[in-house]
Amino acid sequence: MSGTKTRHGEAVELPFQVYARQFEKLPPCQARCPSSGDIRGWLGIIAQREKHGLSLDEAYDKAWQRIVEFNPMPATTGRICPHPCEDLCSRQDKDGAVSINAMERFLGDWGISRGLTLPDVPHQRHPETVGVVGSGPASLSFAYQMAIRGYAVTIYDRDERPGGMLRHAIPDYRLPREVLDAEIDRILGLGMALVSSVDIGEDLTLDQLREKHELVFLGLGAQAARRLGIPGEEGPGVIPGIEFLRKRKERQDTGCGRNVLVIGGGNTAIDAARSARRDGCSVTLIYRRSESEMPATAHEVEDARREGVEFRFLAAPTRIIRDGDRIRQVEVQAMRLGDPDSDGRRRPEAIAGQLDCLAADSIIVAISQEPGWHNSGAVLEAGAWLRPADDGRLQDKLFAGGDDLGPGIASRAIGQGRHAAESAHAELRGLPQPPLHPNSPLLTQDSVKVDYYADRQRSQTPRRRESSWLANPDREIDLTLSYAQASEEAARCMSCGLCFDCQQCFMYCNRGGFTRVEETSPGKYFAFAMDACEGCGKCIELCPCGYLEDRDVLT
Amino acid sequence: MAEGLELLTGKAPKPNKAEAMTLGDGSRVAVIGAGPAGSMFSYFFLSMAETIGLDVGVDVFEPRRFCHRGPAGCNHCGGIVSESLVQRLATEGIKLPDCVVQRGIESYILHTDVGDVEIATPLMEKRIAAIYRGNGPRSSEPLDTHSFDGYLLELAEQKGARVIPRLVTGVRRDEGLMTVSCADQFSDAYDLVVVATGVNSRLTEMLENETAEFSRADRTKTFICEFFLGREVIRETFGPSMHVFLLDIPRLEFAALIPKGDYVTLALLGDDIDEALIDRFFAAPEVRNCFPGGQVPGHVCHCYPRINIRSATPAYGDRLVLIGDSGTTRLFKDGIGAAYRTSKAAAKTAVFHGVSAEDFSNYYAPLCRKISNDNRVGKFVFSVATLVQKARFARRGILNMTANEQLQEDSPRRMSGVLWDLFSGSASYTDVFLRTLHPAYVGLLLWNLVSANLPGGRKAQKGNGHVRH
Repeated sequence: MSGTKTRHGEAVELPFQVYARQFEKLPPCQARCPSSGDIRGWLGIIAQREKHGLSLDEAYDKAWQRIVEFNPMPATTGRICPHPCEDLCSRQDKDGAVSINAMERFLGDWGISRGLTLPDVPHQRHPETVGVVGSGPASLSFAYQMAIRGYAVTIYDRDERPGGMLRHAIPDYRLPREVLDAEIDRILGLGMALVSSVDIGEDLTLDQLREKHELVFLGLGAQAARRLGIPGEEGPGVIPGIEFLRKRKERQDTGCGRNVLVIGGGNTAIDAARSARRDGCSVTLIYRRSESEMPATAHEVEDARREGVEFRFLAAPTRIIRDGDRIRQVEVQAMRLGDPDSDGRRRPEAIAGQLDCLAADSIIVAISQEPGWHNSGAVLEAGAWLRPADDGRLQDKLFAGGDDLGPGIASRAIGQGRHAAESAHAELRGLPQPPLHPNSPLLTQDSVKVDYYADRQRSQTPRRRESSWLANPDREIDLTLSYAQASEEAARCMSCGLCFDCQQCFMYCNRGGFTRVEETSPGKYFAFAMDACEGCGKCIELCPCGYLEDRDVLT
Repeated sequence: MAEGLELLTGKAPKPNKAEAMTLGDGSRVAVIGAGPAGSMFSYFFLSMAETIGLDVGVDVFEPRRFCHRGPAGCNHCGGIVSESLVQRLATEGIKLPDCVVQRGIESYILHTDVGDVEIATPLMEKRIAAIYRGNGPRSSEPLDTHSFDGYLLELAEQKGARVIPRLVTGVRRDEGLMTVSCADQFSDAYDLVVVATGVNSRLTEMLENETAEFSRADRTKTFICEFFLGREVIRETFGPSMHVFLLDIPRLEFAALIPKGDYVTLALLGDDIDEALIDRFFAAPEVRNCFPGGQVPGHVCHCYPRINIRSATPAYGDRLVLIGDSGTTRLFKDGIGAAYRTSKAAAKTAVFHGVSAEDFSNYYAPLCRKISNDNRVGKFVFSVATLVQKARFARRGILNMTANEQLQEDSPRRMSGVLWDLFSGSASYTDVFLRTLHPAYVGLLLWNLVSANLPGGRKAQKGNGHVRH
């Protein structure tokens, strides 16, 4: 319903009614971000800095502080996140999505190089203590959010060093260990205790842990590799992808030989294939569907190809042929794509009679992960995913998040950790449960007037020369945006769904109904007097970012 | 120029320019607003500069897109270009293409409570052009509408003007030059700033606040809306005619329905048009009967644009000139014609004389004064029209005289001509007024006042086919 007014004694619909309240809408980037970061917010601090008297340095500092309200590890996610936030960016079809991921990385590095600190832990601590199992991104996010809310946190991990999959499974050329260390140390520096080399269910039961702490968070990850289930799989030379990556990072002998077949189409498979290339192996990656169905990030696949990884699509291993213990060959079945299955991807089907054999010394199996914990109490059942409520609650004062709910990306784990902490804090303090989803409505498609914005080309992420990639196997390939590039890239943000002070409503309202507020901040520039509205809707049509819109009149 | 600004714009400083109040090679002009005044200024300015071999740059600041439908791309206007202006533009090389002209207006129909009369196009005028300033009403189909303003801006661009899609939010004097600043932190220095923002932007208010000696134009509120009826229905009900109304509604000076494509534009002009007045207008049977089924349909798009009712004073300063509605325009009518005249005079002054306040005072101000003086006469003419609106016997007389003129092809058509020029803005108010002083006009009017109000007087008109009851 639009506003109604009486005309000739009858109710007549007025096309538009604007009224004085905030019109903020959820932008597509944030709607897609699994950690629900305030992307538009931190980009806006940089883009609109001059309106608030901030120098560029100050703006970068403030933007970093805004990021870490949601995600304490931006330098890490800025490197490894497949950035679904960029997929539906309103700029996408104009001149390319805003380089959100590269901006996150820039700010993450900025925070590290400037020695910026996370929010202070309150002096007054709550009496309850919190136990966190695991130290991957979900656990670190949960621990961080609880620490800054004033809880004493103890992290238990079965490994010696914290970080979970970030430490063990992401190769150095994608995530240098110094960057990860810097961000983890900053979190642990908030005064939390780390108990290493403790396996829950083995060294300590879950019940014991729950007696020790008022509240427990499970971030166990998915440590067990799925198996192929084909003849010849038992025996040396068949290496789970995660184990291969972990050994490489720990600089142990992987024992993979010269000729390596990698099975799988996800990022772990690509990481394994590229890592094996770095050890001088010849690598063929076998995937049962076609390239477009690969879950791996497209540019990672492209980089793997440039590094000499061979791809064999629409193929599935059926048998491992050994000569004694040693692998000789892998029998491969040719596949074709059939009808779509439940996730919408077309199901691969075997083409009868089309088999061939590929020579191999070893096989890296990276076809997903499975729960890897022991039975413990009534909650942990070996081999079964955890199934908590949407906010991560398994039971009263027991929460879970991350890959133990099923494999996902680090950004999702960070979001789950934060949501669980918000709910856990509310439970411990007897506060109302916080909303899981943002309050603002999602920006309606096409409400951003893309042609209002001047063309600005997407910043090119600097990269090292391709010829140097394999020669320096642990050196990072992608580099960070420059100081100047970052401010230019932030200026590309169209501020979808939030006022950025284009001033058109203010300048063009026939009635002069908009007044500038004294203390401005991103999103808060103008107040509007509803009784001044003449209902022409010009402000709505002019508003480039979809902030002002036609709404029902609230009384 | 401040050092910071040089860094920002990457342009070399122009130390000698600040003193010289004339434009030279490399001078830069900012035109704020790309309505007809801004675009025509750019067009004339660059054309004139070319004739004397002056190499100057023109930046036109306009954040809006005329390809957008609805008020955002629109410019608050009934959208009538008089034939005399169409001809004058043609002589300047500006020939309105068919896609810009929504409908040629071939006659006016005057509606009163005592009957209607159709006034055909005077012999020397072919037709009036009905245009959209933007790209048509909200939610209209982008079929064949082409923006009038967009077309003029294209012409300016062809002459070499550079369009900068930014909203200007400040103009200030800075070390002898003018600095233009925008909402997105952009700013740049210019040798001359031409304000062509109209009176529906805050820029002149900001100029007034910053410049003590300047006072912006006085404004009043008008009403414009669009009805969707469809081409066929419009052809049958409205025809190629503009419908004007002589109604006894206080504060209403002029009301017209103008057919354009699938839409009909309503324009109400007067003193602070408000909802009560609009309601009264829609309730009038003369208005309702224009629409199919005697019902005024809901409108798809409306706004309350402000119009200039007293010129900005002065409409210039050193390196600053206000043209079109933001400076001086004609009262109620022919705003585009005034934009044409003021933009050309300002361009001429800047190119051939200089850009000081004195130059504009000598060569630009006389035109503004002429228009203002004519508006004073116009005010009087409209006040007489108001008296006519109040007096039923007078309406009868005027209707009668007009109808009789329309029957006689070779008559001087004194009343028709007066009404036509008053409605279309084709002639100055002074000219219209002087014609009403002609003894023949006065005599005929008196005769018609008497005859039309005699018992049986109205009967005689019934058969003439022009007066419609």
